[in-house]
Amino acid sequence: MSRHAAARLIACLAMAAGIPALAAAQRAFQPPSGPTPRTAAGKVDFSGVWSKPYVPDMTKDGKDQKGMGVLPFTPWGETEWKAYDAAEGDYTGACLPFGLTRSVNTPEPMQIVQTEKYFAFLFEQNSWFVVVPIDGRPHRQGIPTWFGDSVGRWEGDTLVIDTVNFNGRTRLDTIGHPHSDQLHVVQRFSRPDLGHISYEMTVEDPKAYTKPIVNTRTFTLRPDWEMMEYSCEENNKSLWEGRIKPPKAPKS
Amino acid sequence: MNMKRLMIGAGVALALVQPVVAHHSFAAEFDANKTVTIEGAVTKLEWANPHIWIYLDVKDDHGVVQAWQCEGGPPNTLTRNGWSPNSLKLGDKITIDGALAKDGSKTCNARMVKLADGRTVFAGSSGGDNPPPPTLPKK
Repeated sequence: MSRHAAARLIACLAMAAGIPALAAAQRAFQPPSGPTPRTAAGKVDFSGVWSKPYVPDMTKDGKDQKGMGVLPFTPWGETEWKAYDAAEGDYTGACLPFGLTRSVNTPEPMQIVQTEKYFAFLFEQNSWFVVVPIDGRPHRQGIPTWFGDSVGRWEGDTLVIDTVNFNGRTRLDTIGHPHSDQLHVVQRFSRPDLGHISYEMTVEDPKAYTKPIVNTRTFTLRPDWEMMEYSCEENNKSLWEGRIKPPKAPKS
Repeated sequence: MNMKRLMIGAGVALALVQPVVAHHSFAAEFDANKTVTIEGAVTKLEWANPHIWIYLDVKDDHGVVQAWQCEGGPPNTLTRNGWSPNSLKLGDKITIDGALAKDGSKTCNARMVKLADGRTVFAGSSGGDNPPPPTLPKK
């Protein structure tokens, strides 16, 4: 019996025993097992709905993630870090785009949709998405954006997504580690088996950090989940009632 | 009445109040060092993004009814954890453990909720690495 089938049997027995669904749903999940899936063209297929670890502080270790440790701040980066106070107005409280790293950091799941030409992140957090060409084209030279400009390439069975051209208005993580518009993010995806993605994020920013910093994580396949709508603006009472402050205007 | 209980503590149970706010920084709105336990009757449930809000009437030690509001996790996360808009009904007597808002209002961030049937369940987002297991119903 597969682990997936066993989990279903346990869930059925739990229901038969009268244990409420709410209690059963909060137990640990075991992903399905099997070999690494591949596309018709033989590439590793990352498609699926993925549970990812919540990483509010990218320096720290946590379940399914290894933190960056002590950050090698430049003087500019250290000043930005010491001056940051979320209580004085953080852009996410106003539901502005989290940016790339902070969207990957959220506890909400993400779906990956992959074709031969594109790799799409569908973040449940605020229903955002990022579409990445993976057909070898170069970066676009456009207006800097919240999520930056991403292109992907294959290194064997590892998909490497390279992102530049950020607007510099986001933070790396919830606790507020800084970056500038010189941010360069490299994400490396590999899928050792059906149920898991091994993920590595490298952050380079010569204005904020003296050397690259790396964070590694494991994502878990959730075939039992469907993506759901998440409208951050729908009932943002905390902002409307003044308990959190709106963000300050960007520095010109 | 069992509703008559309101306890506010400071600097304790920090581990129970890990930041669970997903859409903005926990520290922007709440003080993890000011924990609170409130017991009262549900007057309204807002099942909406970015977070659910539970409203309840709480009697203080002087018998005065005070209106409280407490933020829970996002509806999506709570749905996956087995919650539904019917998990709390108007008039349900519940107990919430959470953290107080920094502005001094009767507002909290709900970490755990003891439901009317006796079960205690995690009310925050799945942001906690290991959401505390719920207790089984008392027979």
